[in-house]
Amino acid sequence: MPAAISAIANVLIGGIFHAAVLFLVAAGLQLVFGVQKIVNLACGSFYALGAYFGITLVNFGLGAGLPDWTLLPLLVLAGLLMVVIGPPIERLLRAVYDRDESFQLLLTFALVLMFQDIFRLVWGANPRSLNNVHLVYGKWTVGDFSVPVYNLLVIGAALLTAFLIGLFLKHTTFGRLLRATAENRAMAEALGVNVRAVYAAVFTLGTLLGTLGGALVVPTAAASLDMAVEFVIEAFAVVVIGGLGSMPGALAGAGLVGLIRAGALVLYPEFEILAIYLIVIGVLLLKPSGLFGKPAA
Amino acid sequence: MKLSRRALLTSLAAAGAGVTAPGVFAPAVAQAKPCRIGILAPRSGIAASAGESGLRATQWAVEKFNVGGGIAGRKIELVIEEETNPKDTIERFQKLVQQEKVDCVQGIVSTGVGLALGPVAEEARALTIYWDGTTQDGVDEKLPNPKYLFRSTDNECEAVMSSLLAIKHWKGQFKTIAGINPDYSYGRNNMAAFVALLKRFSIEHEVVTEQWPKVGTMELTSHVAALKAAKPDLIFSSLLFADLPVFMKQAHAAELTKGTKLVFPAAGWQHTLMKKDFTPEGMIFGHNTLYFDNPKATALQREFVAWYADKFKDYPNWEADRAYFAIASYKDAVENAAKAKGASWPAIDDVIGALEGSSVESLGGKGSWRKDHIADQTFVQGFSTHANKYDFVTLDPARIETMYSTELQKPAGTNFWDWLKMAKFQI
Amino acid sequence: MKHGSALLLVAIAAGALALVPLLAPPFYANLLVPFYGYAIALLGFNLLFGYSGLLSFGHALFLGLGAYTAAVVAGVWGIKEFEVALLAAALAGLIVALPLGWLAVRYRGIFFGMLTLAYGMLAHAVLFKFYHLTGGDSGMRVPRMHLLGLEFAAYNKIELLAGPFYYYCLTLCALAAFLMWRIVRSPFGLHLRSLRDNAQKAEYLGVRVHQFRLAAFAISGIYGAVGGTILGFRTGLADPELVYWTHSGHLVFMTVLGGFSSFLGPVIGALALTLLQDQLQSLTQYWRLVLGAILALVVIFLPRGLAGLAIDVSLLLGRRSAPSTASTTETA
Repeated sequence: MPAAISAIANVLIGGIFHAAVLFLVAAGLQLVFGVQKIVNLACGSFYALGAYFGITLVNFGLGAGLPDWTLLPLLVLAGLLMVVIGPPIERLLRAVYDRDESFQLLLTFALVLMFQDIFRLVWGANPRSLNNVHLVYGKWTVGDFSVPVYNLLVIGAALLTAFLIGLFLKHTTFGRLLRATAENRAMAEALGVNVRAVYAAVFTLGTLLGTLGGALVVPTAAASLDMAVEFVIEAFAVVVIGGLGSMPGALAGAGLVGLIRAGALVLYPEFEILAIYLIVIGVLLLKPSGLFGKPAA
Repeated sequence: MKLSRRALLTSLAAAGAGVTAPGVFAPAVAQAKPCRIGILAPRSGIAASAGESGLRATQWAVEKFNVGGGIAGRKIELVIEEETNPKDTIERFQKLVQQEKVDCVQGIVSTGVGLALGPVAEEARALTIYWDGTTQDGVDEKLPNPKYLFRSTDNECEAVMSSLLAIKHWKGQFKTIAGINPDYSYGRNNMAAFVALLKRFSIEHEVVTEQWPKVGTMELTSHVAALKAAKPDLIFSSLLFADLPVFMKQAHAAELTKGTKLVFPAAGWQHTLMKKDFTPEGMIFGHNTLYFDNPKATALQREFVAWYADKFKDYPNWEADRAYFAIASYKDAVENAAKAKGASWPAIDDVIGALEGSSVESLGGKGSWRKDHIADQTFVQGFSTHANKYDFVTLDPARIETMYSTELQKPAGTNFWDWLKMAKFQI
Repeated sequence: MKHGSALLLVAIAAGALALVPLLAPPFYANLLVPFYGYAIALLGFNLLFGYSGLLSFGHALFLGLGAYTAAVVAGVWGIKEFEVALLAAALAGLIVALPLGWLAVRYRGIFFGMLTLAYGMLAHAVLFKFYHLTGGDSGMRVPRMHLLGLEFAAYNKIELLAGPFYYYCLTLCALAAFLMWRIVRSPFGLHLRSLRDNAQKAEYLGVRVHQFRLAAFAISGIYGAVGGTILGFRTGLADPELVYWTHSGHLVFMTVLGGFSSFLGPVIGALALTLLQDQLQSLTQYWRLVLGAILALVVIFLPRGLAGLAIDVSLLLGRRSAPSTASTTETA
């Protein structure tokens, strides 16, 4: 591969990896917003929770003698286990379902505040990170182009998730129920849908996407106290660009944000963060429903 | 040491006892009234681990001093408040000074908070000693000649030292340089100082890319790729917090660090996160004022590091040294002033006078206070090695460099950038 | 509660606040200065939120704007009159609010919230990136200024804050509240409420929806900037943390804590949160956890906030003695 092309490929794959993680968390946000009309500020906290617990479980597992290749299964397991916080939080949110959306937003803001201290209480003030275990799957190298296979696996996992969610929403009975509830809650209720159960399932699934995203990213990153507050803003950028509540939108938005960041870094590094917010505002103004969302009421 | 209401109440009760039982014991009780030191340290967010390290060192110092009778016969009592944003930290500071009536306030890690708090400390006439966060970028007109405020060594010291080491050891071996530094004044100044020193020593160089990731960015693979595309001979980075190990890990995975010279002045702030797995040998690695594994360490440092490792299963970074220096130099000054005044507790002006020009042995070596209330301390940097018993990198014992900050920071009243152009550097 | 008794209560509360510098330890007067800044900003914020039904999640932008304006006026231009800084901040608030509002008021609900959140984060990024002008993370110094042309040279800054500046802010806050009271009682305020409750119907009746909301946005921007000027003067620094999204969340927190359906609810919320946070921070290092839990409880059990609770209690007590009409301080 010629040097210029491999350089571009390196930048692109970096952007796509970032996009993959963003997609997982944004998909959780979208699902919950799409069905329950709740903007969940705590999605960043779920992400951080997945990251912290992922480290704990991997350290425990590998420390107990499991082979290194179990890293990915352990992380997925960590994401799955942390889903236990989904139902109780959904139970809490149930108290404000019928209220103005500002109450729901604020309740999730309260969760953000609480989680900050819970992380410190449980995992301490020091950032946590793993050794280089994610290189256990090797690297894929072509000339100057090189990417850890782990990163490709995460990208694959994100795409698989997108595919499964799509399949689930389109082709399963529960998926149809879910879409019907999202479309018209009263109608769905009248038709005998157990909306309460649907909400509980949706929120739990949304939580899972967040914790899974955090667990999958942590081998290449670190878990720290500020990650939740920082990450939620970027996840928001994704859902706004893609369109609130839209799954394809989450995929497109994540891809766009990842690539814009990567592109800006090469062309004009000073512009990196600014570029994302400008695009968010541009999208909101020109097409507030986002690239894939339904028109705003 | 946790702030406990009970401790506070006991001390109030002790003070009350002094009032109700005057006469014979009055002077003794007055002496026994504890010396209260207010601490402002970050506990949450990015700087939480620095705050924790500093708090632990303070706790160690207080236990040690109290065993020896406290400060000039008064036991030390800590009142701890959290350093957050400038606005709230000022409120906590005033609580310490006006409500808790502390004798001295110590702490502060963030530059922004330090800048905002400076004038408040002056107005409150409250003796205040900063651990960290002094930037020299135009600081001369921002906080001129403080009386009550004592500030840490310049943030830029470590960048100056790393730059000098890079020039000394690698001159002629690099031409293209790249920077990846946090997007705040510390990162900007450090990178600018490095480039200014290259110019000063007429080193031919070309800056191929400069990146400024937002502090707290955990996904740096795009930055790594952009750096790699620029193909630099040398990378200068003052990244810190969790961002740095994340960058190293992702850079290692992309093979950016292979064959590239690395100058990382702030790496020691999170040294235990710099795992051997992804941190190469031979990089210039700054430990600032405390290198925990220094073969030339004093008995004091060894005692502290052993206690720290035993108690927290961790190894301290430089914030611990800064915190120790603050409280040890305060103790020293109070006791010297008391001695000069004949054993009574000295007035604040006497303590300030005693601090000026004083020297104490801090954890990482000698530390002293300049007349303009800026600290001078001992800096340690060197080249990273994997030859140790830890899972993170340490310094190659044969290539450790130690400098006193008189060689690394501008003297009083000069402009930092002018000083870089004309100072005499020992290379 | 009748109009008269409500007014009496407000007068008593204002009187009590006026006594703080004289009776309470000096720390408390200093602590309450930012409260006045928040109170003014929240009076404006609630014109948008409580009265117009538009929840801004980026309103800290205007607080930051006010503080940075003060830094420019006093620090860069060297004009040491606080009144000039206030006027400049109000003007800056208006100038910034008009285009931002013009773009934002077309949307309601979550889209409006998202757009304002993005404004705030864009402002945060701009403050960092244009560090040559803004000082980046270190921010800009806000020097000490004169009040009503008086230098108060005999006072140090802490005494100034706890004395003259305290009363200055109290007066400013009272004026701002009086003005806002007139605004919400005017036909304009009634229109805003009708828009909030039923935009379509209001439009049929000839209310120009966007213009009215834009006016509300502009007024809230001015109030926010004025409040921010007080924060800037008190801290002596304008820094990017002021516009970060969590600070905007804090503003919403105060408003809901006090109760956005009452005129003075946000002011009560600002006071309550200021005192609560001070106490919690001294009690435990895990104060965020407690604060978050309290917020959750308020959101769930006290949807009308502390003000709503107070009104309910007084109604309950009032019913025992004499039948009473609904409170006049409620917005609905």
